[in-house]
Amino acid sequence: MQIGIELVRNRIACALEAFRQVLYGAGAHEIVLYTVRLRANMENLFILVTLGDLIGVPILPPYYSLRLLPYLVPQVSSWKRRVLRERDILDADGLDLLA
Amino acid sequence: MNTLIALVIAVVVIYLAYVFYAKRVDATIIKADPKKATPAKMYMDGVDFSPTDRNVLYGYQFKSIAAAGPIVGAITAANLWGWLPSLLWLLVGVSFIGWVQDYSAMMMAVRKDGDSLTAISHKLISPRTRNIFLLFIFVYLLMIVGAFGNLLAGTLNTQPSVPLGIIVLAVAGMFAGQMLYKWKMDLIVTTIIVVGVTLLAILIGPVIASSIAGFNAALNTLGLKIYYVETTGAVLPFTTSYMFWLLVVVVFSYLGATLPIWRYAQPVNYIGFWVMALTIVGGLLGAVLAVFLKPAAATFTLPDYKGFDMGTGGALQPLWPMLFVTIACGAISGWHALVSTVGTGRQLEYETDALPVGAGAMFSEMLLSLLALLAISVAGKGAGAAAFANGVGQFLNVIGLDATYGAALGFAAFVIIVITVTQLALRFMRVVLAEWLGDMWAPAKNIHVGTIISAILMIIIVLSGTFTYMWQIFGGANQLMAALALMLVTLWLVETKKNPAYAFWPMLFMYVTCIAANLISAYNLYATVLLKQMGKPGLEFAVFGAGAMIVIAVFLDVAALYIGWDAWKAYGRLKAGKAAPAPAE
Repeated sequence: MQIGIELVRNRIACALEAFRQVLYGAGAHEIVLYTVRLRANMENLFILVTLGDLIGVPILPPYYSLRLLPYLVPQVSSWKRRVLRERDILDADGLDLLA
Repeated sequence: MNTLIALVIAVVVIYLAYVFYAKRVDATIIKADPKKATPAKMYMDGVDFSPTDRNVLYGYQFKSIAAAGPIVGAITAANLWGWLPSLLWLLVGVSFIGWVQDYSAMMMAVRKDGDSLTAISHKLISPRTRNIFLLFIFVYLLMIVGAFGNLLAGTLNTQPSVPLGIIVLAVAGMFAGQMLYKWKMDLIVTTIIVVGVTLLAILIGPVIASSIAGFNAALNTLGLKIYYVETTGAVLPFTTSYMFWLLVVVVFSYLGATLPIWRYAQPVNYIGFWVMALTIVGGLLGAVLAVFLKPAAATFTLPDYKGFDMGTGGALQPLWPMLFVTIACGAISGWHALVSTVGTGRQLEYETDALPVGAGAMFSEMLLSLLALLAISVAGKGAGAAAFANGVGQFLNVIGLDATYGAALGFAAFVIIVITVTQLALRFMRVVLAEWLGDMWAPAKNIHVGTIISAILMIIIVLSGTFTYMWQIFGGANQLMAALALMLVTLWLVETKKNPAYAFWPMLFMYVTCIAANLISAYNLYATVLLKQMGKPGLEFAVFGAGAMIVIAVFLDVAALYIGWDAWKAYGRLKAGKAAPAPAE
């Protein structure tokens, strides 16, 4: 009996969690995606300013780049993926809002 | 027939199609494998490519595909042919074509490194195909802003209870952007404030309706008129107040197209989502309960079948092919393939999530379209938006909301969802224009120039035609995009040595149907406007617009034939196992 009640309770909890996630997906996910995209754009600029040498744009004196290196190195691989990816017109912001 | 029976039939059909067809295709043809790395994992950049839970993605995909299309199409078709053909097409279309396209396009993107549909067409068929696809998208957008602009201006002009809600929506949208992104306020608090204020304005709308009606009457004393030709062949004027509200729609959309997304377009969309969600949930609940609590509100009063050819005034409106482009989203929509590839496809954590997310969201969207169909079927009379709103009002009345306020909410939800799409379509038009013309003519890259050009095109289309023809050409463009997406899926299945039949036959049906529908739309414009009104004073605008839309309809068919020819050549190449030639550009 106790196990049965526990099972029902778990099922209800799972269903509520799934409903919460669906609601989040429909309501807030695009806002979160957009915020992440804004942050990534800022990050792109920051890494370009500090490690521009990587793609031949020497902007900051190497000394400051070196000081910042430990903070930036973990982000370099995802930054390269972002900036080097070939983009299509369908990648423009706002397409996912429009259907 | 009543609402409960229709809903039960729909749920049973969805269940059968999902369990016995969709799951089978997923398991035996596509062979989705949870162990295969998806682009979200392979190319994770924390932004576009990012593994996301499937429940979240289901909500995201549903929200992305379920907008004005499933509502407007069902209303227009039910008015033309009756509720039965519309219901049958919704059920058959979504079961055999709609989910096939959404799910397969998503899986194709997943297996092709998260490429967009245009990029895949570039690689699988030819560079020319990609360019034609972009032209399709632009025409699709142009027709959508034209049809929706016409619908919005008409509703705002004739329903004085609606404008207050829309104006408050614009202001609340700006505030929501400020609160979320600048003041960093909590999302739940922001939602309660801005959605609450917008709902309050919607419900106050009927109270101040007489003032707005007086304002419209005062505007109409100015006597400015532009004539257009109705589907019946009657010549009617766009009044001064109509043009004023069209201008309001253009300004609203201009803000959406030029301000940063976070500042306006996205928050407005977000508020619209909640207004729409509350209306849909309340409406569906009312539709189910009405059978028990208020049977009169649940009984269909619209005729089940009005006839095969419903054309008037020399126009043709045969059930085939016109029904299949009039109801686009809800049964199948080409736009879904674009969203499935560049949006959701890049966030799938496991391949096995594609079925519940892609197919599941499509089946759910059909239910939204069904709600619109139920609403108009019980309301029975009145023009499209009015009948929909009155039907929703009847459903909401069942759960305790006064019918007047229920109808006001139905109107507002309808207008809000249409206007949010219009502003984003205008925004995307200027992006496409900048891409095309930017290199040849630098000013096109300026966001204001691009938006003004797009807005002028929108106004020309709105003022020169009738809603039905615009909607059907839009449907033709949208459904042809769906056929082309299914064509790409077929080629991809051939390339990977899988059985393409489940995508090929729907593609062939949609391809032939849409080409025929576009030719009929062109003929209708020729027969009802060009032939009868050419040279008559005051109708120059209508004649010019009809000519422009004929050119668009013919262009769509020619472009589709080009793509079809290129795809046929690609089919032979892929069947022989040869790689695509290196792109010429």
